[in-house]
Amino acid sequence: MAATNSTAKQKVGWGAANLIVIVAAAIPVLWLASLSFKDPSTLGDGSFIPHKWTLDNYSGIFSTSLFTRALINSIGIALIATFLAVVLGSMAAYAVARLNFPGKALLIAASLMIAMFPPISLVSPLFNLWRIIGLFDTWPGLIIPYLTFSLPLAIYVLSAFFREIPWDLEKAAQVDGATPFQSFRKIIIPLAAPGVFTTAILVFIFAWNDFVFAISLTSTTAARTVPAAIAFFTGTSQFTTPIGSIAAAAVVITVPIIIMVLIFQRRIVAGLTAGAVKG
Amino acid sequence: MSTQTQTAPAAASASEPRKQGGISERTRAERKLGWMLCAPAAFVMLAVTAYPIGYAIYLSLQRYDLRFPSRTHFVGLANYGTVLSSTDLWWRAFGLTVLVAAISVVIELILGMAIAMVMHRALFGRGVVRTAVLVPYGIVTVVAAYSWQYAWTPGTGYLAALLPKDSAPLTSTLPAIAIIILAEIWKTTPFMALLLLAGLSLVPNDLLNAARVDGATAWERFRNVTLPIMKPAILVALLFRTLDAFRIFDNIFILTQGAHNTRSVSILDYDQLFTALNLGVGSAMSVLIFLAVALIAFLYIKGFGAAAPGQALR
Amino acid sequence: MVRVVALAVGVALLTSSCGSGTPTASGGTPTLAWYIFPEPSGSFAAAAAECSKASNGEYNLQMHVLPAAADGQREEMVRRLAAGDTALDILGLDVTWTAEFAEAGWLAPWPDQIASQVKNGTLPTMIKTGTWNNKLYSAPFNTNTELLWYRKSLVPHPPKTWAEMLSQAKQLASQGKPHYIEIQGAQYEGFTVWFNTMVASAGGSIISPNGQTVTLGSSALSALRIMAALAHSPAADPSLSNQMEDQNRLAFESGVAAFELNYPFIYPSAKVDVPKIYKDIGWAPYPTVDPSQPSHVTIGGIDLAVSSLSRYKKQSFDAIQCLRQDKNQVRNAVKGGLPPVSEAVYKDKSFQKAYPAWKTILQGLQHASVRPLTPAYQSVSLQIAYSLSPPSTIVPQSDLPVLKQRIQDAINSKGLVP
Repeated sequence: MAATNSTAKQKVGWGAANLIVIVAAAIPVLWLASLSFKDPSTLGDGSFIPHKWTLDNYSGIFSTSLFTRALINSIGIALIATFLAVVLGSMAAYAVARLNFPGKALLIAASLMIAMFPPISLVSPLFNLWRIIGLFDTWPGLIIPYLTFSLPLAIYVLSAFFREIPWDLEKAAQVDGATPFQSFRKIIIPLAAPGVFTTAILVFIFAWNDFVFAISLTSTTAARTVPAAIAFFTGTSQFTTPIGSIAAAAVVITVPIIIMVLIFQRRIVAGLTAGAVKG
Repeated sequence: MSTQTQTAPAAASASEPRKQGGISERTRAERKLGWMLCAPAAFVMLAVTAYPIGYAIYLSLQRYDLRFPSRTHFVGLANYGTVLSSTDLWWRAFGLTVLVAAISVVIELILGMAIAMVMHRALFGRGVVRTAVLVPYGIVTVVAAYSWQYAWTPGTGYLAALLPKDSAPLTSTLPAIAIIILAEIWKTTPFMALLLLAGLSLVPNDLLNAARVDGATAWERFRNVTLPIMKPAILVALLFRTLDAFRIFDNIFILTQGAHNTRSVSILDYDQLFTALNLGVGSAMSVLIFLAVALIAFLYIKGFGAAAPGQALR
Repeated sequence: MVRVVALAVGVALLTSSCGSGTPTASGGTPTLAWYIFPEPSGSFAAAAAECSKASNGEYNLQMHVLPAAADGQREEMVRRLAAGDTALDILGLDVTWTAEFAEAGWLAPWPDQIASQVKNGTLPTMIKTGTWNNKLYSAPFNTNTELLWYRKSLVPHPPKTWAEMLSQAKQLASQGKPHYIEIQGAQYEGFTVWFNTMVASAGGSIISPNGQTVTLGSSALSALRIMAALAHSPAADPSLSNQMEDQNRLAFESGVAAFELNYPFIYPSAKVDVPKIYKDIGWAPYPTVDPSQPSHVTIGGIDLAVSSLSRYKKQSFDAIQCLRQDKNQVRNAVKGGLPPVSEAVYKDKSFQKAYPAWKTILQGLQHASVRPLTPAYQSVSLQIAYSLSPPSTIVPQSDLPVLKQRIQDAINSKGLVP
């Protein structure tokens, strides 16, 4: 489908562009990996490749439950928040894109307002609220704010996608004898897939990366996620930033991201190239 | 081309029973369905933020310093006056934030579009390219910031080694700002690229082929076919990226802690709320940040016109 | 369809709340929650376990870790205490937080009787850090102070005054030898520590003892002149305006420096990282500013206080007294690198063996100065660092009145803080 007419020159051009993109994205990550393998005495030597290698940083972060529990918390909370955001966001986005009802503009404006308010001034009252309700230091205590602050983006992205779907296809399929649910499943869902998976990746990464809520709404390993747990890493003295452990933790937690993205990236564009669209 | 939003029948229900007042019955059913579908999301969003936002606005009208609780009293808009009259702190931070946000968003838009096209057209290793591009976005922000800080610290870092000896870029304002912008761009261009890629994949290849057959050059095809179809995706990407760029915090916090006049408005707000424990002034500043961001959103939506969701296209 | 979604949502939320839960106090022995920074050597945990056992059922100490950085610790405690959280009993406070927490109403004052027990034998300057409005709110737990470290091969006679140190460095520079004076010049708390040390060593203070007025005067001018002189001399590390304690340590270990003004942690670190330079390291008292009096280095450390919202105040006071016992202080010092607050421990042989510089450290502690005692200390510190860092921009005559005004505003909680 893609390059039936491209010349060898074009191929080389795109290939070079590929390479540049990969390298530019990878170098700081490789630097982190390098910091994680560097022996502490060589941290100040300024070289990209470690002169003295050590695995101590990795064994160190797994030696206590601080990091391992945080990893479990991060994965669980991010997955659940993503699932809920996609479900609730899809429902609302469908309504926004296809239906007319009073209050639609208000909902969109309100959700945008929520996305715009600086989170740092919201954490203290939210902490108060959670403490009174009993959600402080729990999984729902983090899932709900993540849901709240990712729904605006989810609704926006999904509704922008839903609007592009040619709904007449549904009618055509029904004329051909499919039930509404079949036509929804076989035609609408594949077309909506790019938007859904894009949203899923964005929400997951938001929940994965968040620091402000994680540090304010948790106090023990019961619910603390990885970004907050990093604040508890200690160095050899109170004045030393434990960059070795932090870098090791960073490398470890990037792996689930890589896996998740590898799985989902195919689906982002698979939907539309599956043919069956107009024309 | 794309469809207009119509009063299409709801997908989940079977065909409506016909009645004499048929239209209003359907409209009512449509409204009900619309509310029902939106209710869970609306409930979650409002229930969580109503109290905190309301409380923040309430606090902004009080003189409330946690360290001197006995001096709490209502002061109306005095806190806003304190913030807006501070030229060397507030307005400098405001200017810096606008500068950093504008530069990074523009560069990210261009780079993001280019990367989206590379991801779209990747001939081999498509999965690898797309994954590699998204990894910077997936790394925890504070960790990425540490990576940059160590890279630019003289002696410790590989990037500092490229500069003339004994220069410490993170300690002078302009080089530090450049490094902050670089860190922002590296971190969030994937966000733009992802949204633009998704928008790019909506452009039907048949249209592009038809245009090519008609003799249009690559640039003309891009400008006249691709860009207009991508308008909604570009709006979403720009809008949300700018909203986030204006509230930049993590990168500055780790790289310079806001020192040497590299404070953004969020860092300044953090200092009022968490360091000085001056909740009154801090909340007023939050509201002002919110208003600034709202203004930007308003300008975007007005500028892009009908590409906002829920409105009829063109 | 909507019902299915609602069910899925419900299941998702329910499964996510499994496995979370906080321990509650058991029927008999109350569990005291001790909030303290994560101490890597395990000395605190050992002390807590021993004290719980020795209490014979009076209390059970449970350590809760706070973030590693001081700011993060303060943030978490402030957020929870301000919200009225009763789950905190014993708080590990940095020496500069007592006035702030006490004025905000979050600390329980020590009853006079046991307060005098705490004060007995403890370094007087540390007692000052735990006192506010003439009441003892927090008991000193460990302390810290800076010394002058130097390379014996480059510096045969360690300088006694700042002027001497600067001229020695200049001479080394002209000879092409390593000559930097490592000190913390970044725009952060460590810079305030440096400024406070210089002003106090010049015989002055930043604010009055009651914390109401700014007292910067001629002593501040002398201090600023020396700081500016360092910044413009060849002795200044090019990264001075970016350096904190750890960067100073790394620079000294890399061999470019002849002098370093830093905490004792650099010494055992050098032993591991750069054994050759380690053998060459000597130590001396912090150089004086006013030759007629010893230097007054800013004191650091941790105090332990009882939350005013705690349900077990009496047990908490008892637990703190146990944690502060001399044998625990020895262990904290030897294993954890945290100098003791009780003067008797400085005579302990195992302590002296682990701290070859113990005499100089004790000397420094006995002449130490405190940072401004005011609830608005964090704002004051921000203003000092903002106004004076980087040190190369200091113009003493014109900077001083600006600084005075800013600190006065900070004390009155007026205006914005940087």
